[in-house]
Amino acid sequence: MMREDEAAYRAPPSLQQIWRRIVEQVWRVEHAFERSRTANRAVDDTRVRIFGVLTLFALGFIFLSVKAGAVALFSHAEGDGVEATAPVEQRADLTDRNGMLLALDVPHYGVYVDSRDLWDVSEARNGLVDVLPNIQRARLDKVLTAGKRELLINGLTADQRDRVHDLGLPGVTFEEEARRSYPLGQQAAHIIGYADPSGKGLAGAERGLDGVIRDAAGGNGAIATSIDLRVQGALESELHRAMTDFSAVNAMGVVTNINTGEVLALASLPDFDPNNRGASDPANLVNHTGASVYEMGSTFKMFTFAMALDSHSADLNMVVDASHPLHLGPRIIHDFDATNKQMTMEDVFLVSSNIGTARIALKAGKDNMYKYFKSFGLFDPAKIELAESTRPIVPRDWSESTVASVSFGANISVSPLSVAQAMGGIFNGGNMVPLTIRKHPSGDHVDGRQVISPETSLTMLGLMRQNVLRGTGSKADAPGLRVGGKTGSAEKPEKGGYARNKLVTSFAAIFPTDGPVGTPRYLVLVMLDEPKPNATTYGFQTAGWNAAPTAGRVIDRIAPFVGVQRAKASMEASRVAAAPVHEEQTGAPH
Amino acid sequence: MSDAAIHLVRSRVQGSLVQLFRIRIRGVSLVEAMAFVCLSVLVIGVYFYKANAGQESARIKDLDREIQQEDQQVRRLREQLTTLQQPARIERLSQQYLNLGPMGAQQEAAPEDLTDIARRGPPPPPRDFAKLAHPATEPPK
Repeated sequence: MMREDEAAYRAPPSLQQIWRRIVEQVWRVEHAFERSRTANRAVDDTRVRIFGVLTLFALGFIFLSVKAGAVALFSHAEGDGVEATAPVEQRADLTDRNGMLLALDVPHYGVYVDSRDLWDVSEARNGLVDVLPNIQRARLDKVLTAGKRELLINGLTADQRDRVHDLGLPGVTFEEEARRSYPLGQQAAHIIGYADPSGKGLAGAERGLDGVIRDAAGGNGAIATSIDLRVQGALESELHRAMTDFSAVNAMGVVTNINTGEVLALASLPDFDPNNRGASDPANLVNHTGASVYEMGSTFKMFTFAMALDSHSADLNMVVDASHPLHLGPRIIHDFDATNKQMTMEDVFLVSSNIGTARIALKAGKDNMYKYFKSFGLFDPAKIELAESTRPIVPRDWSESTVASVSFGANISVSPLSVAQAMGGIFNGGNMVPLTIRKHPSGDHVDGRQVISPETSLTMLGLMRQNVLRGTGSKADAPGLRVGGKTGSAEKPEKGGYARNKLVTSFAAIFPTDGPVGTPRYLVLVMLDEPKPNATTYGFQTAGWNAAPTAGRVIDRIAPFVGVQRAKASMEASRVAAAPVHEEQTGAPH
Repeated sequence: MSDAAIHLVRSRVQGSLVQLFRIRIRGVSLVEAMAFVCLSVLVIGVYFYKANAGQESARIKDLDREIQQEDQQVRRLREQLTTLQQPARIERLSQQYLNLGPMGAQQEAAPEDLTDIARRGPPPPPRDFAKLAHPATEPPK
């Protein structure tokens, strides 16, 4: 039994045995000739060798032919490969949050003329002038007599190219060139920005999202920005109107979703056409919402009040003495429209008293002010993808005089974007989130940094609403939309002081102000640079008369787009342009 | 299998191979003729394979070109559409030709209020802008 099993079982060969067999086979091949000669079969041996060589060649050929066939039939070199290696200058489309185009690559054409091939220069000249009436005559003449192939003009559309082609001129050829097109022209120009001909983003979203746009090029996807074109249109329309009505030098506006930090609209007027930015005044290329800093004036009182309430150094019922000017060493702080009385903290906000606000800030102390203002992001550039977001000008020495000045928005210059970012953090429940120009994927909550308590946030919302119902912001009220806001009118710094008649006015609005923390809310910030009084303002040029009604109209128009319903009860209480505006204090230190 | 059996099989295979090499048809070795035929079939096969692949490739190129042209046309049309739809332009045209402006709060209505609005009756007739523009010179008799 054992013997049968042993016979059936054959142990696998060891490595040594395998090696020995290989060596034996090699030896056999090497000595085939000798063996054949020995066996007198040299001819057979040669045939075997020839057969072997033929077989090797045949196998090699079969392999190559099968491989060549496979490459010819199944290669994707002309399909996916082209898309994967998109040229550097290609850029993905930019759209607004609803898929409306903002920027796209559209093929254009360059026209080249080789004058050596032309039969009749005069005929060619007349034909080209007919179909391209804006062509530079000097350039045309130079190219037609150059005696070599030269670029005549580039950036032609397909229709223009067809018209030139239909002339049937010999020596005229076309080369396709990718070109960035901005179909909205001047609309949303500052937030869209522009790219150079090589496809590098230079400003706005084109620069801020440059890497993302390039990475997405070649595919079919588009980069969705946070912009809502409908909101953008309403904002720009009202800013144009305000700029005309009040003869302002510049007008700026920002609309954000304060829960997510998404910028829904951003405008800085005057603007430019990114398709032809060379024709614009270079000053118009500056996006003042991010690239310029301003002393904001009383709008800053929001931050002072949020700081004082959250640090428990004050409460709304606290009585503040604004009955006489505040003396800080040699400096005296006045109220422009002195009420000369003691008032509650809430009234200080509603009449926008500089004296009262300075006293509240001094009571809270410089450490609190520095800590809170820093946490609000007011000492840093606004966190946003836009490269235009610039650094604020912050005082170095935090004396009592500085604390008083900063409390009502003097002595510190920040960009409107910084204000928008800080306000978002205060009014969304205290969650400081960075601004963004990219559409938020889903949901309304973004994790941020808690800078004030939700209770303080709700208190501030109530204060803002009261300021529109009873204070300096009454002209910003929009029926049923529960608008809250704060005016700011700051004298512009000039050589050695401030210009009394040159104001930067602003209105920072939040709507709706009711509902718990987490309610969808939107910020509208409107700023006018050097607005002038007119017949409707009774000679006034402060924010309550120009920036506030502008913001109110913007809110009235955009509410349906952002889904804020009008409340009937609030519509009854609304007092659009009904009550006189309390004259506010300007932000200049006196 | 015993060594003797293996040796027997090997010698028979070798014998058969030698026989195969010795077969000649009109002086041409059968093995060489078969190799030549195989080679010819391979060459012709690859030629047709390649030719067919070339035609397919050309057709794919044409289709790609057509798709690209269509895509560019679509992009140009989308560009024009966006230009025509830009909010500032629509607003300007609606003001200029239709005398329309932004909708006021009183013009908005919630679906649940439609019954009340219907009860109130029809709105006053629109003003005749043509008459306003060209008022009658004589009072009606």
